[in-house]
Amino acid sequence: MLLELALIAIVFLGIVILGSSRLRTIIHLFALQSFILSATPLLIYPGVHALVMMTAVLILKVLVMPVFLFWAIRHVSIRREAKPLIGYGKTLVFGGLLVGAAFFLSSKLEVPFREVSNLLVPASFSVIMIGFLLLVSRLKAITQVIGYLVMENGIFLFALLLLDRTPLLVEMGIFLDIFVAVLVMGIVINHINEEYDDTNTLHLTTLRD
Amino acid sequence: MLLFLILLPILGAAVAFLLSNGRPRKIVLAGTSFIHLIGVVSIWKFSPAAWFHGFLGMDVLGRLILTVVSILFAAVSFYLWGYLKEEEERSNRVFVTSLLLFLSAMTLVTMARHMGLLWIAIEATTLFSAPLINFTRSPQSVEAMWKYLLICSVGIAMALLGTLFLAVSAAGTGTVLLDVLLDHATLFSVPWLKLSVIFLFVGYGTKMGLAPMHTWLPDAHSEAPSPVSALLSGVLLNCAFLGILRVFQICAAAGQTAFAQDLLLVMGLLSLAVASIFVIGQTDYKRMFAYSSVENMGILAIGIGLGGVGLYGSLFHAVNNAFAKGMVFLVTGNLYRIYQSKKVNDVKGLLAGHPVTGIFLAMGFLAVTGIPPFGTFYSELMILNAAIRSGHFWVAFFYVLFLALIFIGIAGSVLKMLRGDTGEQAGGPQAKKEDIGSIIPILLLGLIVLMLGLYMPSFLDNALKGSSTLLGGG
Repeated sequence: MLLELALIAIVFLGIVILGSSRLRTIIHLFALQSFILSATPLLIYPGVHALVMMTAVLILKVLVMPVFLFWAIRHVSIRREAKPLIGYGKTLVFGGLLVGAAFFLSSKLEVPFREVSNLLVPASFSVIMIGFLLLVSRLKAITQVIGYLVMENGIFLFALLLLDRTPLLVEMGIFLDIFVAVLVMGIVINHINEEYDDTNTLHLTTLRD
Repeated sequence: MLLFLILLPILGAAVAFLLSNGRPRKIVLAGTSFIHLIGVVSIWKFSPAAWFHGFLGMDVLGRLILTVVSILFAAVSFYLWGYLKEEEERSNRVFVTSLLLFLSAMTLVTMARHMGLLWIAIEATTLFSAPLINFTRSPQSVEAMWKYLLICSVGIAMALLGTLFLAVSAAGTGTVLLDVLLDHATLFSVPWLKLSVIFLFVGYGTKMGLAPMHTWLPDAHSEAPSPVSALLSGVLLNCAFLGILRVFQICAAAGQTAFAQDLLLVMGLLSLAVASIFVIGQTDYKRMFAYSSVENMGILAIGIGLGGVGLYGSLFHAVNNAFAKGMVFLVTGNLYRIYQSKKVNDVKGLLAGHPVTGIFLAMGFLAVTGIPPFGTFYSELMILNAAIRSGHFWVAFFYVLFLALIFIGIAGSVLKMLRGDTGEQAGGPQAKKEDIGSIIPILLLGLIVLMLGLYMPSFLDNALKGSSTLLGGG
């Protein structure tokens, strides 16, 4: 029951992120989503493995990455998302449709072993799609990074299906990779800002055929 | 031994990072790549045991790719000796450190026997190669780096999802160790396997530069410094190709070869079509060769998609293409040094003004487009042969058509650059001498491709045969 509530909250927070324009709010929401996410392994399989996962998510996604993202927006001094290509209202409607599609899709796919909750797969698909939508519909480089992170949260949810089957080491490696990816992207955002005095990726259009 | 090859470049990277001076860093780079090459050669003699509960291991396919990686890396680090001298005013600390970490990550890709570890390694290659693109710090290179990072990271995220789907499909085995998967492949849940194959092909296909996920490639490969482009085009794409081959191996073991083959044929032909559209009339010569990479990756995908002789041809083409692409991008490095421009129209009378670079460009052009007697010709011919033998006449038709179009497109630009007189440029700042350090690596790579066309060494033949057996071929 608690698990279902957590999953619904995670998807809901994703949709709220889609509708927000203030970057600080978006980062806070992402941190909150990751905080709820960190509790899910413990809700499914209480044990050492889950505890390690929880700590890793708490440190990396709830503490380090949001702090780093806050540092990045302060450093390049931007507050709001630029006017997106598709309006916020339309993005929200589209996000809702994607969540519906995620539920439909996962009802067609049968997991070949006993699931802990039949909400896990649709919730994970929804969050992945929401993250992807955020990534393609926003213009600021930093929101695109958050879109990528939301996508990763969705993938993490899916990985919970296999929590008791995969070795811890591989999960740690994946965490490390995502962490470095965000770090490198943050540095690139600074480079973009230096070159263009702005982190709007619409400027990045000189290379084309 | 395996662990040594992975740790050696990391150690080199740490040393390079701690050194305060640029010159000793170059020595570390050259030394590390040389020792790495010796280590790789020794693997052919003594096959090392699997390591770490089977997470690391070396089969004939991984060894083949690793050898190509190591040879090309050594050639490029030799070339970089002169290149970094010219760029001395820039600190090369981050550059050399990332370069060595990049080598380590690529080594790990060839040794990973666990699909999760393979994913980690391929993602690591993206992260360590991204800073290399931005060495010159121009606005264009920042843009190229951002696109590269973002598109490849999303692609790789798809591959992670695909890996998880694969684990669901193989739930009975409780692991995604490659050897375990191959042994139990017949028990997999087929719908999940198919879904996972789609996601993995799209994910690793993005990294490999297959259309329609290739959009980052022309930017990254044209804006990166030329020695880096040589590595990206020559070996990084092959590492992603290895990821696809591992997935194909599992499909073959699970009896889903036809499904995977159809996907690869579609992606391959699409890549050829895209490359032929953008190569014609391309005004930037580095971009032109970048699209030629898209083309060659398409050829690899088609070869695997056809099966039979195509498997052997495709693997052989991967080897040929790595050296040919490495060579041609190093030549573009020399061209850029002479003319300080990447525009085809700015380069005139190359044969008359700079005969050595001119001949190399002509050689490189013939090698990447697959003209005899270069090895690429024979591998492309084998793939055509496979298409006709397996009755894929439409594939054969479009394959030949697109290859011809691309040849004409590249030939037009290259001839424009080679011919004419240098009159207006003589005596200008362009009249720089072609130094020996930038010629030897190019000559070496060119000779390798040439030799592969004239004579097939038996160890390579065995390795190619062994690898195609792994992929379910005869």
